[in-house]
Amino acid sequence: MDYSGLNPQMNFIGFDNYIKAFQDEIFLKALGNTMIFVIGTVPITTGIALLLALLLNSRNLRSKGIFKAGFFLPSVISMVVISTMWIYLYSSNGLFNTVGSLLGFKMESRSWLASPDTALPSIMIMDIWAAFGYYLILIYAGLQNVPEQLYEAARIDGATPTQIALKITLPYIKPTLFFVISINTIRSFQVFSEIYTMTGGGPRNSTQTIVHYLYQVGFSKFEMGYGTSISYILLVLIMIVTFIQRYLLRSDSV
Amino acid sequence: MKKKTGVQRIWIFVLLMVLLVISLMPLFMMIFTSIIPQGDLFHLIKENTLIEFESNPVFLKTKMRAVGARTFEIVPVDSEANKGVKVIAANSEADYGITAFTGNKDTNLVKYVSLLIKAPAGSTLFLGLKDINDNEDQIEIQKIENNEFNQITIPYEPDKFEKVETEHISQIKVLVRIPEGMENGEIIMDDIKTKLKFPTFANFIDVWQEQDFARYIFNSGFVSVCVVLGNLIFCTMVAYAFARKQFRGKEFLFMLVLSTMMIPPQVTIIPVFMLMKSFGWIDTYMALIIPSLVTPFGIFFMRQYIEQLPHALDEAAYVDGANDFQIFTRIIMPLSSPAMAVLGINTFISVWNDLFYPLVMTNSKGMRTVQVGLAMFQKLNQTDWPRMMAASSIAGIPVIIIFLIFQRQIIAGLVEGGVKG
Repeated sequence: MDYSGLNPQMNFIGFDNYIKAFQDEIFLKALGNTMIFVIGTVPITTGIALLLALLLNSRNLRSKGIFKAGFFLPSVISMVVISTMWIYLYSSNGLFNTVGSLLGFKMESRSWLASPDTALPSIMIMDIWAAFGYYLILIYAGLQNVPEQLYEAARIDGATPTQIALKITLPYIKPTLFFVISINTIRSFQVFSEIYTMTGGGPRNSTQTIVHYLYQVGFSKFEMGYGTSISYILLVLIMIVTFIQRYLLRSDSV
Repeated sequence: MKKKTGVQRIWIFVLLMVLLVISLMPLFMMIFTSIIPQGDLFHLIKENTLIEFESNPVFLKTKMRAVGARTFEIVPVDSEANKGVKVIAANSEADYGITAFTGNKDTNLVKYVSLLIKAPAGSTLFLGLKDINDNEDQIEIQKIENNEFNQITIPYEPDKFEKVETEHISQIKVLVRIPEGMENGEIIMDDIKTKLKFPTFANFIDVWQEQDFARYIFNSGFVSVCVVLGNLIFCTMVAYAFARKQFRGKEFLFMLVLSTMMIPPQVTIIPVFMLMKSFGWIDTYMALIIPSLVTPFGIFFMRQYIEQLPHALDEAAYVDGANDFQIFTRIIMPLSSPAMAVLGINTFISVWNDLFYPLVMTNSKGMRTVQVGLAMFQKLNQTDWPRMMAASSIAGIPVIIIFLIFQRQIIAGLVEGGVKG
């Protein structure tokens, strides 16, 4: 607790830092926000990626290369650049407010990131936009493993497109989907750059996340000991999620 | 049946196209905004105000000077809120007016200069320039025909100013010569503005030169290239040992490497920081480069590739008396160059794009990578959108270009080694 990492003096304090973490209001807020972030973004990102991958996989579609590259492009650009771009879109006279008021909605005359109610959802929307292309490519690659004969057989037997999707495609790409969900979850737990760039955890800690809080504690307040405890809590959380997902994956894919 | 699927196909194509355009919209907006000269997209203020007479006269003296007359006076124009400057011309022998200090400006970016002026009828208006080497030149613009306020737009043609370097202008002058024989002419001017040309690179130039982005790009490039080279050499070496050599504890060691891949970098950041601190490497290239020289993902990825290379070649080389190092450099490395390309490009992108690690490891301005620099720049220039978008384009465009060139390798690396997480 009193180890700053700057002076060599330290006292052994057992589990005090871990206890402190769970009594620390900001940390609990950060934990909650991270959970909301994970639960809010992972299903939507995966859903959009899956839908687009299925559309992209439809037979005889032209210029698939352009679509793949185009949808993937945002995920090679750094989070700082993306965040800067979206700060502009979210700003008081940015794209969203302008389009909103053109459509006749009454928009607030301040940035979406300035209000505690809208800041976190705004960052989540941006994150979905920035990430789905990456998972789209992974799922699309998974779709290529489905044997073409199966589709043909089903079509000859008169199956509807919905039936084909549910009975043939989904079971085949289940491992890919689980894999996508699992890395997506891990990545979402680590959300940092967008928070640091867009809001710095504010307003009123409404966008504080675990890694951002870890950064503030460790490198602004120089409480290295406490910071390390937070990082271990993060590790344990990620481990738990990974093991749950591994378990599900193993029992489902034969 | 066939016709129906054809229609469906077009619908899917159109739908995907619309979604693609929507999803690339922020990128278009970024590039588009970065070439607008000042102001933001929806409240276009493309003019750059040269002198704002609404300011305090004491402050104005630092931005302008009267020419000819000894002093100037700030007077109301039309109404109390709108102020202009008044210069009294004493005779028709000399030029009277004001000089605006511009620092060191590249006036080739200017489209026109505009101003509101009231001068005695028959006066002649001149535009003058002075460059940083104190060369001066001026050209005649037009005669002023009435005694009212005139809104005058002067198309800016740099070629006409022969004696000055128009890339480095320090002063812009607006001068008036009153008609022959007249005494005590009163000249009032307001709203002296320059309008920049629309697609302008002024924002880029400003960000590159004034905001240290040249340095940030150099830092990012240097660090990324070093890390990529390190990964290519060391990961391939380690992977070669894991793929081809038999030694005790190999499986255990490999498992250990794999398990470190599971640990997110944020978890180890504080120990790594303290290690770098005790080496005295904080805020040096060493801290940015050395801990990333070999990565578990690189080892894993290269081992997978080397394992499936045919053994026949290195066995033949071994029989011919080649040692391990020769087998590695002459056979394994050339054969695994496709995988090395994938690893290299993906490493470059991830190092270039990283914010967290360089943010923690650097604290001086000169050591910042472009991502840290951009984040800081953004925090300081909250609403200066064109320059902010120019800065983010500078940080983003190198990666976009690399992606457009090496698309196939990047996507292959992602699909094969997606485990990275």
